[in-house]
Amino acid sequence: MVPEPSAAAPVETRLRDLRPTASPVEFVARVVTAERREVTRKSDGSRRPLLSGLLSDGTGTVRFTWWDPPREGVERGVVLRAVGAEVREFRGRPEVTFSWKTRVAPASPAELPKVDGEEMPFRTVRELRPSDEGFRVEVRVVRVAPKSVSVGTERRVVHEGLVADRTGAVALSAWSDFALAAGEAVRIAGGYVRAFRGRPQLVLDERSSVVRIDGTDLPDPAQLLRSPPRTISEVEDEGGGETVAVEGVVVGLLPPSGLVYRCPTCRRSIRSGICRIHGQVEGQADLRARIVLDDGSGALTVNAGRGDTEKLWGVTLEQAQARLRNQPDPSLLEEEMLESLLGRRLRVRGTGTKDEFGVTVNPESIERVEVDLDSAAEELLARLGEGG
Amino acid sequence: MSLREPAWRVTARELESSFEEEKGEGERPTAFLLSPFAARMNRVLMAGTLSPAESIGREEAQAFWRARLSDPTGAVAVTAGSFQPRAMAQLRAASSPRPAIVVGKVHLFRGRDGVGYVSVRAEGVRSVSEVEERATLADIVRQTLDRLDLLERVEKEPALTEETVRKEGMPPAWLNAARESRNRYPNVDRAAFRRDLRAAVRRVAGDSGPARATLSTPPTVTVTPAPAPRPPPPAPTAAERAEESLFLDQLDEVADVSADGYAVLKEVLARVSSHGLVADRAEEVLNRLEEEGVIEEPIVGKLRRA
Repeated sequence: MVPEPSAAAPVETRLRDLRPTASPVEFVARVVTAERREVTRKSDGSRRPLLSGLLSDGTGTVRFTWWDPPREGVERGVVLRAVGAEVREFRGRPEVTFSWKTRVAPASPAELPKVDGEEMPFRTVRELRPSDEGFRVEVRVVRVAPKSVSVGTERRVVHEGLVADRTGAVALSAWSDFALAAGEAVRIAGGYVRAFRGRPQLVLDERSSVVRIDGTDLPDPAQLLRSPPRTISEVEDEGGGETVAVEGVVVGLLPPSGLVYRCPTCRRSIRSGICRIHGQVEGQADLRARIVLDDGSGALTVNAGRGDTEKLWGVTLEQAQARLRNQPDPSLLEEEMLESLLGRRLRVRGTGTKDEFGVTVNPESIERVEVDLDSAAEELLARLGEGG
Repeated sequence: MSLREPAWRVTARELESSFEEEKGEGERPTAFLLSPFAARMNRVLMAGTLSPAESIGREEAQAFWRARLSDPTGAVAVTAGSFQPRAMAQLRAASSPRPAIVVGKVHLFRGRDGVGYVSVRAEGVRSVSEVEERATLADIVRQTLDRLDLLERVEKEPALTEETVRKEGMPPAWLNAARESRNRYPNVDRAAFRRDLRAAVRRVAGDSGPARATLSTPPTVTVTPAPAPRPPPPAPTAAERAEESLFLDQLDEVADVSADGYAVLKEVLARVSSHGLVADRAEEVLNRLEEEGVIEEPIVGKLRRA
């Protein structure tokens, strides 16, 4: 299959190993994205077609520029063999250019480099960064569930979940069905990492491989979801996380909290009956609380939905609506809510994302914390004793 | 990045002993009050018994209310004005002392005798059950002890790094606060402060009821303030001090909302007169504050803090 390397012929290279070099290279890769443009020549004003995008062979991804490409036939998913491509460096990363000297021909997916997981460098979850690929990880599936999404006009099923090793947890998004089940230990190779809402997400597609492993040194999923709370300043330092657990005191509410109206299509909260996306809509009433939780080390926002808000406030959506009919000032409801929450001690678990205003947690659970006063007093008295 | 300032868990005694200020960085610097016990406070969380509020504003439109929050270690003034309508409503709500939790911003007024008066401008006030008050007090004492322990470690291990502190689950910002606190308050009697905290722990255990003893005990925390440059003039009376405080508060409020950071003299005078400080007296207070170098009038008719 693979031609014997000789002095004259370029050597077939894996994208992972591409280095800027004077001698042309040969490789087989799949088109990930391709965009057609035209460039106007300065010398005579003529226009020259150009195709550029991303190529991947499972070991790495590289940007390509193709001068005078074929009119059609080069699109997402097509596998190509390029012989005599030039490698340059742009912003510290290699890029390839196909010119008249390069021979590019369709190839079969079987010609793509065989990348079994064994060959790929091993990474821990904590090390994963957006745009990484060509690595393998060994993780425990903490949870996974299929979800139907629209991609352009197409409906596709994506399996979303959370995987973890001893170093941390990362969101998972599998576009092929690997029949993953919560609790399984797996070796994943050929995935890539992208940034989703500011957090890394491990993406698997048909090129990825999943192997069940023993995984005795991987964390127990239940234990992972029960991990003890950490300080809010730590969570701030880490920019949130997939399994944030914090404990603190309610020190305020951010607007909009209380009774809100949502767009029936996209669930965004609306103002004056107008959705940002869908225009004039018939809003649906909902309860929410944007709680500022503070543990003395830092503060974060907890976006509590209807269920948690009703439970914490002790007022249901129906009761809130009834109150609003008697006292038509929604800000009073928010005040009343704050008065029932301020100073309450809560333990919150969920997914944390960070932006310029700090960390926001989308909670999976919010619990009230009861303090055992006797043992607290005993502990504090013992500590006071030490220092006199 | 402007992350929200955390609410430092402090006792009244710690606030009463704080007089060192610090300005943050950036375009709109945050003001901090540094305590002798390693708190670098902009916002605080406190628990105690809140007295009924008294109005210290004279006019409906410029309402300003003040109450006292007492905990087993001391007491501190809690204020709320028309800029904090919710907190003000909560302050005014009760006619008898009740257990409460207060979240607010610390405010230091330095009188002309050099003594600082700390108050808390409430952002949130809630009447709570005694059990909740005690639970919050437990949180306050625990974090106070954490800071005292850190102060001791900073003394023993000057090379203590942020990384080590972080690994032990403490915010790295605490280390800097502890170091700064040691620099600014070199001779603090921490043992005495620990003794004061005992009363707070007894309260956590439920020993004393809500009817707290009157807090007339002198502060047991001794601090060495920076030496005064010259002997102070005859001590001002409490009434004079209150007038100065009112004047400066109004000046700050006017300056806060003005575009250039100066407070227009006329407006300040109008405001203080609506609080009962008549023109002649206001002029006197103004002169006194200018002589003391507390405020200055670099542009005719415009004031600012010196």
